[in-house]
Amino acid sequence: MEMKYFDLIKPGTTHDFVKYRRVAVVISLIANALVLAGMLLWPGLNYGVDFAGGTELQVHFKQKAEAGDIRDLVAKQGFGEPTVQEYGNKEDNQFLVRVERIALLTPERADQIRAAVSQAVPGLQSFRFDPEVGDKLDFFFKQPVDESALRAAVEKQGTAVKEIRPLVSREGAEREYTVITQGTGDKIGSALREKYGQDQVEVVRTDYVGPQVGKQLRIDGILAVVYAMGMILVYVGFRFDFRFSPGVVIALVHDAIITLGYFLVSRHEFNLTSVTVILTVVGYSVNDTIVIYDRIRENAKKHKGRPLRELINLSINEMLGRTILTSGATALSLVGLLVYGVGTIQDFAAAMLVGIVSGTYSTWYIASPMTIWLEEHVEQRKAIQAAQPKPKKSDTGRPAAAAR
Amino acid sequence: MDRAWYWKAGFILAVTLVAIWALVPSVTYFRLPASERNEASVFERARPKWAPAKHLNLGLDLQGGIHLVMGVEVDRAVREKAVRRAEELAAEMDRKDVKGADVRGDPDTGIVTVTAPDVGKAKDVLAEFTDMYVRRTTGNTVELAMKDDAVKLLKDSAVDQAVKAIRNRVDKWGVSEPTIAKRGDASILVQLPGYSNPEKAKELIGKTAQLEFKIVDDGDLSVSKLTDLPQGVTLNWDRYSGAGDATISSPYLESKDRAPLAQYLKDKAPAGHVFAIGKLEGRGRADTTYRSWLLDQKQGMTGEYITDARVAFDNSPGEGNRPYVQVSFNKTGADLFGKLTKENVKRRMAIVLDDTVDSAPIIQTEIPGGICSIHLGGLKPINEILEEAKDLALVLKSGALPAPVRILEERSVGASLGPELIRRGSQAALLGLLAVLVFMALYYRFSGLVADVALVLNGLVVLAIMAGINSTLTLPGIAGFVLTLGMAVDANVLINERIREELKTGRTLAAAVKTGYEKVFWTIFDGHVTALVAGFVIRAYGSGPVRGFATTLIIGLLASMFTSIVVTRAIVEWFVSHGRLHKAVSF
Repeated sequence: MEMKYFDLIKPGTTHDFVKYRRVAVVISLIANALVLAGMLLWPGLNYGVDFAGGTELQVHFKQKAEAGDIRDLVAKQGFGEPTVQEYGNKEDNQFLVRVERIALLTPERADQIRAAVSQAVPGLQSFRFDPEVGDKLDFFFKQPVDESALRAAVEKQGTAVKEIRPLVSREGAEREYTVITQGTGDKIGSALREKYGQDQVEVVRTDYVGPQVGKQLRIDGILAVVYAMGMILVYVGFRFDFRFSPGVVIALVHDAIITLGYFLVSRHEFNLTSVTVILTVVGYSVNDTIVIYDRIRENAKKHKGRPLRELINLSINEMLGRTILTSGATALSLVGLLVYGVGTIQDFAAAMLVGIVSGTYSTWYIASPMTIWLEEHVEQRKAIQAAQPKPKKSDTGRPAAAAR
Repeated sequence: MDRAWYWKAGFILAVTLVAIWALVPSVTYFRLPASERNEASVFERARPKWAPAKHLNLGLDLQGGIHLVMGVEVDRAVREKAVRRAEELAAEMDRKDVKGADVRGDPDTGIVTVTAPDVGKAKDVLAEFTDMYVRRTTGNTVELAMKDDAVKLLKDSAVDQAVKAIRNRVDKWGVSEPTIAKRGDASILVQLPGYSNPEKAKELIGKTAQLEFKIVDDGDLSVSKLTDLPQGVTLNWDRYSGAGDATISSPYLESKDRAPLAQYLKDKAPAGHVFAIGKLEGRGRADTTYRSWLLDQKQGMTGEYITDARVAFDNSPGEGNRPYVQVSFNKTGADLFGKLTKENVKRRMAIVLDDTVDSAPIIQTEIPGGICSIHLGGLKPINEILEEAKDLALVLKSGALPAPVRILEERSVGASLGPELIRRGSQAALLGLLAVLVFMALYYRFSGLVADVALVLNGLVVLAIMAGINSTLTLPGIAGFVLTLGMAVDANVLINERIREELKTGRTLAAAVKTGYEKVFWTIFDGHVTALVAGFVIRAYGSGPVRGFATTLIIGLLASMFTSIVVTRAIVEWFVSHGRLHKAVSF
């Protein structure tokens, strides 16, 4: 039966991928080194509060506002160097305002307030302030006290009180009070409202993350990724051959770093959600590499005795149509998000596109040729073990490990 | 067509139908207005009765909600435990006949002091209390404290119980898909997606509910004789018709602020009585004020015997469907409650929650049988009474929190994208998916359409499983979903390209399909399993949004393997084996 196809890639295309592997490795090493240097030295990723800690506000203005004006205004409130960034489309007038401070209260200020309260309100037994938690003071009295007196005593010290909450203890008497003072978020919000008009500014969301929590989140995230890589290494080693494993993991690290480069260059915020974008890219890249490896394994069985570099070239070329189709289809699904999406969604689409290109590239030029190096290495070791003075030095090793 | 094929086709059909069935409540849920759909009762009414009860939820990032961090006062739980142990110790000393022993537990330090003339004998008794150790012995006095491991156990269980109690309350409250998680530092994270009233949330979750029923002593007029009332506290009289329709007048003190009233009344209660404070609100008053209640200390019972409390409606004529609260007691509670009400007909019974009088209905008749109705009073609009009734019912059945909790952090979170942006985002995503479907159909024609069917089914199955396990959809979750759809597309491309290759080697259509699927199976399997391995590891070690990503990734990969390999093959085989339809098949 005769069938007509429309093939994107002509069958029998033979592009020599392996030939360029040294150039590719140099380019990749430089690109990765640049991203890593950018992350660690200068200018660094634009970490969100998830990781950096601090206070972040998402503010919606009813009228047009300029990021520069907002930045000046917030800086004037004594918040050092705030980060102000447009969020979403320009006509949405939404901004992310981030400052490093979480609490307005410092331990010294809290101590001053404690001293003032113990003078003004009798019977203060104990007091607690946790700079990690922020703008909150706990007072514990011997007997119930007048809330308004407590409020007055705190406000006299120049700290605005938002709310006083008594804690009803089991014994029945109210003896413990939590004083919530005006926090960083409130202060920024009211400063913005003063400037732009009371009903012109809406604080959509406020996030506070203490530096310890941020650190813990970062460690958790890194550990999860490291463990996942370890398991992939084991699985690929088990299903294919241990010579194949390092290639997958190196390609995976390569793609993760390149995608981080997107966040580095775009200066978009890097937060916990961005980590999932990186994970998505990594997942895509691993799948791409596995598919090519699978073909190499199959060809190794079919063409026994052919050198590995030929097998790799053959396999990549045979799969060229599939690779371009899949990448194209996935990219196609992202175009809408890239054009119409906003904020996190747009970042996701853009980073994913970077990842697709990087993932395909790393499979062709990094992961597969990696096996050749490992092959050579094994050959060399064997040669040395066999006490031969001149180890064979060529790309043409044994065919890749036979599949099970 | 062989037998196996029919089994397969039947299975696929069943999966499709179950997936659609499982998604019905989610469709109902999303068609409800956003402000109402998180009320369990509203959703329950809208849901078709034949459909399952579980539906998809949106996470805090997609629909906003309330975020609370509650700190559990574990130290206080330990101190209170020490005081309780002191009481038990005293009882044991009594039983063992240790003469002249004095046992005191200090509620502020958690240290128990034992003084006995015969310290040796006392120490023998102490040895039985293995969770305590002797801190110091001076003469006839022994100081005890809880042991470290007992303290640790106590703290752990206090947090666990608080988590359980909070979950219990939130569940009864009917918020869909709350996140209630224990954190490392004796604090509890509570997230209530789609809920927007932080005041109410705090009130319900933060309460240290200790419920008591006590009789109000309206015959004692000593309050009216108090002369040194502080500023802002005034004397008022309550009037209602009591026994024999005689009008009872009872004095009480009223104040705008709670604290001065509480402080003033501290030592004023006559013998055998106790003062409690209650709120006065509504009923034509501009502000909420506080009033005193004089309660009889001897008569009363605690709320521990309550088995259920719910809102019911009185539809007797003239009542206009007025809501009231119906409380059920267990056997012991029924007896106690019957006795209490029998002895106090036409008197008022205060419902005391955390030493605050919630309400004080008049006992009209003896209430035997362990079911009691509490009518909420006043001329308030019906919906306000309904709210009150709901809250009271909830409070009655929630039980007490084991250790006091306090709110460390509280914020109302707007959806990080906002409804307009979400709408635009989902439109863009749908457009993208549609583009992929069209692309597949144009490029592969017949088999492209088959792949499209598989992709759509894949989406349905993933959403259905997520709805079935009552999972929450977050932005990272959607990222995981997109990755699995990408891999499902890849699987279909792999299959079709492979079959094309096989056809080029001159095989027949049927043979090409057979070898194509067989050869490509391991490719798809390895790709998916590698990603699955990563997914499981990330789910186990990751936190927060990263876990949401892993969950959808895992579900999506399993669904993708099923739809790409099993479903498409069944469809293609059917066409291939039917002679006339043969021509339609293309790769």
